[in-house]
Order: sequence, then C-alpha cells, then structure tokens
Amino acid sequence: MTALDPTTASLESATPQSVARARRLKLRLDGVTAGAAIAAIICAAPAFAVLVLALWPSDNAAAFGGALLRDGAVGTLLLVVFGGGGAIALGAIAAWLVAACAFPGRRLLAWLLVLPLAAPSYVLAYAYAGMTWAGGASPVALTGIPGAAFVYAVGLYPYVYLAASAAFARRSSSAIEAARTLGAKPLDVFWRAALPLARPAIAAGGALALMEIAADYGAAHHFGLTTLSTAVFRAWYAHGEPQAALQIASALLAAALVLLWIERSARGRASYAGGLTRAHDTGRYALSPVAGIAAASFCTGLVVFGAALPLAWLARLALLHGQVEDILEPLGNSILLAMGGAAVTLVFATIIAVVARRAGAIGRIGAYAAGLGYAAPGAVIALGALALFGLARDAGWISGLSAALALTALVWAYAARFAAAGVQPIDAGLTRLSKGIDAAARTLGANAWRRLARIDAPIAAPSLAAAGLILFVEILKELPATLILRPFDFDTLAVRAYAYASDERLLEAAAPALLIFVAGLLPMLLLTRGVLKSAR
Amino acid sequence: MSDIVIRDVRRCYGLAHALDGVSFTADAGKVLALLGPSGSGKSTVLRLIAGLEPVDAGSIRVGDELLSSPQHTLPAEARRIGVVFQDYALFPHLTAAENVAFGLAGLPRTEREQSALNWLDRVGLKRRAGAYPHELSGGEQQRVALARALAPTPRAVLLDEPFSGLDSVLRAELRDATLQTLAEAKITTLFVTHDAEDALQAADKLVLLKAGRVLQEAAPRHAYDAPASLEVAAALGPINVFAGRVLNGAAATPFGTVFTPHLPEGAPVQVAVRAEALRLTPGSQARVLSVRPHGAHDLVRIEANGGAWRVLTPARTPLGERVDVTLDPAGAFVFQAD
Repeated sequence: MTALDPTTASLESATPQSVARARRLKLRLDGVTAGAAIAAIICAAPAFAVLVLALWPSDNAAAFGGALLRDGAVGTLLLVVFGGGGAIALGAIAAWLVAACAFPGRRLLAWLLVLPLAAPSYVLAYAYAGMTWAGGASPVALTGIPGAAFVYAVGLYPYVYLAASAAFARRSSSAIEAARTLGAKPLDVFWRAALPLARPAIAAGGALALMEIAADYGAAHHFGLTTLSTAVFRAWYAHGEPQAALQIASALLAAALVLLWIERSARGRASYAGGLTRAHDTGRYALSPVAGIAAASFCTGLVVFGAALPLAWLARLALLHGQVEDILEPLGNSILLAMGGAAVTLVFATIIAVVARRAGAIGRIGAYAAGLGYAAPGAVIALGALALFGLARDAGWISGLSAALALTALVWAYAARFAAAGVQPIDAGLTRLSKGIDAAARTLGANAWRRLARIDAPIAAPSLAAAGLILFVEILKELPATLILRPFDFDTLAVRAYAYASDERLLEAAAPALLIFVAGLLPMLLLTRGVLKSAR
Repeated sequence: MSDIVIRDVRRCYGLAHALDGVSFTADAGKVLALLGPSGSGKSTVLRLIAGLEPVDAGSIRVGDELLSSPQHTLPAEARRIGVVFQDYALFPHLTAAENVAFGLAGLPRTEREQSALNWLDRVGLKRRAGAYPHELSGGEQQRVALARALAPTPRAVLLDEPFSGLDSVLRAELRDATLQTLAEAKITTLFVTHDAEDALQAADKLVLLKAGRVLQEAAPRHAYDAPASLEVAAALGPINVFAGRVLNGAAATPFGTVFTPHLPEGAPVQVAVRAEALRLTPGSQARVLSVRPHGAHDLVRIEANGGAWRVLTPARTPLGERVDVTLDPAGAFVFQAD
C-alpha cells in the first residue's frame, strides 16, 4: 500500500541536495507577492531597457557616442577623483573628531554636520555662483573642475561622515580601547586601529557619494563640464542622437552599478568587522584648547560651506530679488508631482519591503531591482522610460507623448529611481515585526492582504510616514529625469531654478533653489534624530 | 474531531536533515508532548503541522484530509490549527482583546468582541482586555496567546515551549491552568518542551525526539518504566549508567544483577539505573560523598568500586558515612551496546 502512495514514493530518493533543488523551483505566489513582482519589474524596466537598447546595432551612433563617451568618461573620472576624494577625506576626518575627541560644541556639530545633505549639488552650485556674480561677496570665483569638485566635497561628505562615525562610535571602540591600553598615541590609534577598522564603512559611504557625483547633472552642467551625465543630454538634445545617448547612459549605468556593488559588499563587511560588542562611551581624547578650537573650526567650516553659507546667501538673494508670482506655479507643480510620485513610490516600496521581510525570493529580487533603479542616475532612468514609450508608440499602442502620458512616464521614472529610498526606512520599521508575528497571523487565518493591512502597515506606520516624507523631498529635488520627461511648459521648482541658472539669471534662480533647500531640511530633522539616538 | 497523523516526514535545511523520517499520531482530544533537546527538530515538527513550512517528504493528515505532502501544502491560514508561539508573537499594536479577536474575522463585530472577552475570561484576564502586550507580564502574555489560539475553535492547538520563559513557581501554576483550559476546550493538543517534568505531568502521550528522529512514542508511564533506549531513559530522569556483559542471562552491576532474557549470552550491554531505584541503608558497601536537597528527595552522591553514583532518597533519610546499596530491578534497564 505504501508503494502506491505518492507522498511516500519520494521518500527513498529525498536527499538533501535533491530537495534543495526541487524547492528552489517552487515559488509561493499570493496577491501581495505578485504585487511585489510587478513593482520590481516596473522599477527595473527603465534601467534594463537602456542596457538592452544600447547594444542594439546602429551605424552612425558609434562615432558620436565614441567621442562624447570618451570625454564624458574622463570628466566624470576627474570629478570622482577630486570631488569624491575630497568628500571622503572631509567626512572621515569629521567623523573621527566627533567620535573620538572632546571639543567645544561637539554635540551640536555632530548633527549639524549632516545638514549639507539637504541641498542637491546643483542648488549649492547656484548659491556659490550667486555669491561670485551678484553682489560679489566671494573673493574667488568657483569655476570648472575645481569649482565642481569643491561643491561635491562640501555637499556630499555627510555620506562618509554618517557611515564612518557609526563605525568609529560602535564597532571599533573596543579595538581602540585595546590600542590605547597598549600605549598608542592618538594619531597612532587613528592610523593603525580606527581607520583600518572603519575602512569598510568609509568605502560604503564613499561609494554613495561617488554615485551622487556620477549621477549629478545640474552642477556639472552649470560648471560647463562634459561628464557622462551631461554627455547624455548633449547627445540627445544637441546632436539628436538617441542611440548615442543610450550608449553613454549605459556606460554611466555600468559605472553606477560598480559603485553600488562596492557599497553593498563594503557595507556587508562593515557590519561583520568588529563583531557585536555593545557600544559604550569610550573616553574621548581631551584636546588642548588650541587643538580643540581647531577641531571645532574644522567642523564648523564644513557646516558653513556645505549648508549655512549657501542657505543664507540664497535666502538673501531670494528676499531681495524673488517674486512670488514667479515661483507660485512651479511650486504648485512641484508639490503635486512630488505628492503623486511619492504616493505611487511608497506603495511599491511598501509591498517590496514587506515581501522581502516575509523572506520571499521575489521580495529580495524586488529589493535588488529597486536598488538597481536607485543606483541609476535620473537621466538614465528617464531615457529608459522614454525609450520604452517610444517602442510602445512604434508598436501602435499609444500615439505620441501627450501631457498625461508624459506625467505617467515621469511618475514611473520617480518610482524606479526612488523605490529603494523608501524600502530602506520601511524595512527598518518592520524590524519590530518578528517572523513569529507574521506566522501567528497566518495560523489565525489571515491571508496576505489582510496581514499587510492589519499587521505590517500599522506596525510600520511611523516608518511609512518617514518614507513618504523622504520620497516627497527626493522627488522635489530631482532634476535630470524631470527635465527630460516633463510635459511641455510644465515647470517644477528644480526645472525653474535650472532654467534661470542656464540663462545666467542667478538672482531669479535663488528663490526656487532656496525652497528646494528648505524642503530638503525636513527629512534631515527626522534623520538626525535617528543619528542622535544611535550616537547615545 | 480527528487524529493528526504524521508519517515519514522529512525536512532539510541546507544540506542537513532537520527531520529524518518522523512518524507519530496525535490522538483526538488528547495532549501530546514532543520532548527533546534543543536542535532535535521538535519545533520544526510544529511549524510543519501549522503549515508554516512545507514538508520535503512524507505526509501530515487530519483524519482523511491531507494537510501536507511534498506536492501539496495547505496554507497555514486555511488549516484551522492554532499556535501558541514560544515568544507568544502577540501583535504589539493591538490590545489583548483585539489580539484574541484577530482570528474571528468572519464574525460580526459585536459577536467578535463578545467572544474575545469570553475567552479572556476563561484564562482569567478579562480585566486586562484593554491592555497592550507590553503592559502585560510574561504569564499574562502567555495566557492571551493561548486565548487567541483557541478563540477561532481550531481543530488542534500547538504550543511551542509554552512555559519556558517563566520562573519556576509561575511555571507550575501556569502549566496547571493551561492544561485546565485545554481540557475544558477538549481540543487536540501538541506541545513542545525540553523539560521532562512538564512532559511527564502534562501529556497523555510522549513522543521523544532526537536529531530529527523519533526515539519512542508512548504513554508517559510506559516511557518511564520501559524506555526504548538509553537515551529515552536518560531524557526522563537522572540515571546511572553501567557497562558490562550478559552472563548467565543477566547483567551484573556493583549492586546486583538485572535479568536479560532477550539478549544473547556474552553481548556487551549498558545498564541504566534510575537514581531512585537504588536504596541506601547504613552499612559499608559505598562511601557517601555528598547529600543535597532535591525537592521532596535528597540527591546523594556515593562512591563504590571506584565509580560515582547518584541516588535519590526520601528527604532527610539518616545516612552515615558508609552505606549499603540495593537495586530495585523495576528501575533498571539493559540495552545492548553497539
């Protein structure tokens, strides 16, 4: 009788290997998981389309793509080396000072140092340009590669600062204590113990800063540089060569993916290095009065050049020259677009995060797909979305790109670009949700949608709100994708600031740039609260 | 109500077998204890029965209905099998009453609330209905979890180490209260424990697991008095182990012989002697090393023939420095050594 029973027939042959193989082929699919799969496909499609279409054979694209590609690659490389190198050095030093030394104002500076993240690079660039142009307050004019490198360094060092100070404060504290008991002097400790231990964290933060530099369009364009990002635009608009633009975009995407890979693997190592020792307040080095003032000045300088000075200057120009009726319409457009985009992106991010938490393969793939979109620069995503709409038009599914379709494409691009930025805080909020709680809800008869609505969403509610705010601001700040995909005559704050700056009307550019900056400060307040909590 | 029949179930994680051909039957309306050390696979058994994981081979049935086979896994949400998780897994954002009402989604609102309050009342927590999980003590959380699992009138309820997070006084009290509740509900119950005392006192049937295999499936009394292996004997109470050979149909120990009619002459054997199967009287045979209180008994360590032995005697039995030892054959078991 047992021989006929299908449930026992497989028993004899069930080795662990064969079981593991069989299990990989089986995917449980419920409504929420299917939703996550669809969200993942939507997020990955534009970047994927760029890679595929760039390899499509085309005769006359090679020459254009070749020359622009070469110049753009050189420009991006130079900016990555100088701007990125500066950001890494400034961020690592600031993190060490705040984590290991005692000096006046340290606690306050610890969170002020994050503020430059509020402003996108192009806003900083316009602020500094305004300083040298109008009113002439600055003794040196920021131009060319040095100018762009300066803006990137003071604007993006917080990525490194955040990652490195967490590493200095937490993981390496016991090793640092050990080094001190062995008689190492402060600089010795920094070079021989703290820095090597924090290196993975610095690499992870540095990779994020470099991704921002590679993706930046507004600042590079303002400084008149040829980078991969600006080359995409030039090939598309100036030369009318979509194929060349796609090829350059794919090179840019490849560079971003390399950086993403560096960031992921470095972050993995950062979390393992140093084990699980609890953070405890190691005694800080008491600096001499002179050294203490030097340390405080260094950190204050970063805050001043990265945030305070540009913010103050933009505010001054906006108050003197800004006109309300001039920014009212782009402000309304920005708010509507950012709200719509954030809502759609939040839904995608929530579904992906929840399914990833439930340990579904699809959820993890979705998180990777969202990560792919987040790494891809806005110009690449926009080009990919546009190319897909072009294919749909060629196939006769749609006619032309109407305003409604353009807005749809734009929201799509936002979702693809920023879903990962939403997944992260939601995932953090779901840590309160143990796997046991999901299992308990299942044994009580709750299906996937009911668990999402009654368990996951209420538990992660504060994180969902935070994620919504972050997404709103990220979309508000976004420039290149908005430039490419916006309907004709549809200006957002970012587009209006860009348009004025391109016309060298920096006085008028100040008001929209200031609004973007101030909006960017909102999630900073949320973020720094978390930083302060983890610093304690 | 029907029996739950587990047959030849296997489950692997990576390349290791967590369960390697497990079979047993949980009788309808009875309490079954899965007893085993950590890593024996006992919690995995519960997860498979609950439908939280698929089986890799074998089958799980309730009566005629197939719940799990390699080709088919009835989802946990469709099984109507309640679970009390080890960490209770209460929903942190819902009150005690809302937690209990969660599984009653099909009922109208007032009926649902009434039923939840009734169940809280049955576990003695009606006055805590509005409290959130973090406001409840460990014992109260366990009772809410039990009420939540029972409220949807499941076909069976599974409890994963239900008393492990509690201190020993509360533990005995809660164990009795839980059993009382389950007995009133007349529900098929499986609970997992690593505590032999819990298993012996609470269960109608024991299933002893080790390394993903069933060592023995028996009533507690039978498992205790006729263990199937040395491991089973050791799992259910303190024993002394003595190695020897079968000679003239019996195995010799320093304190007497145990008959071994079913073992071949000359076979190497291990004799397990329960600590309470040794009786001590003042004498000369063994030296008393120490006497320690052990609940209603004293745990006496003695030395004889170069070996140390553990003996449970009624508390405060007067013993000198040296004692004579007699062996009660009912508490001695002989197993063939490999």
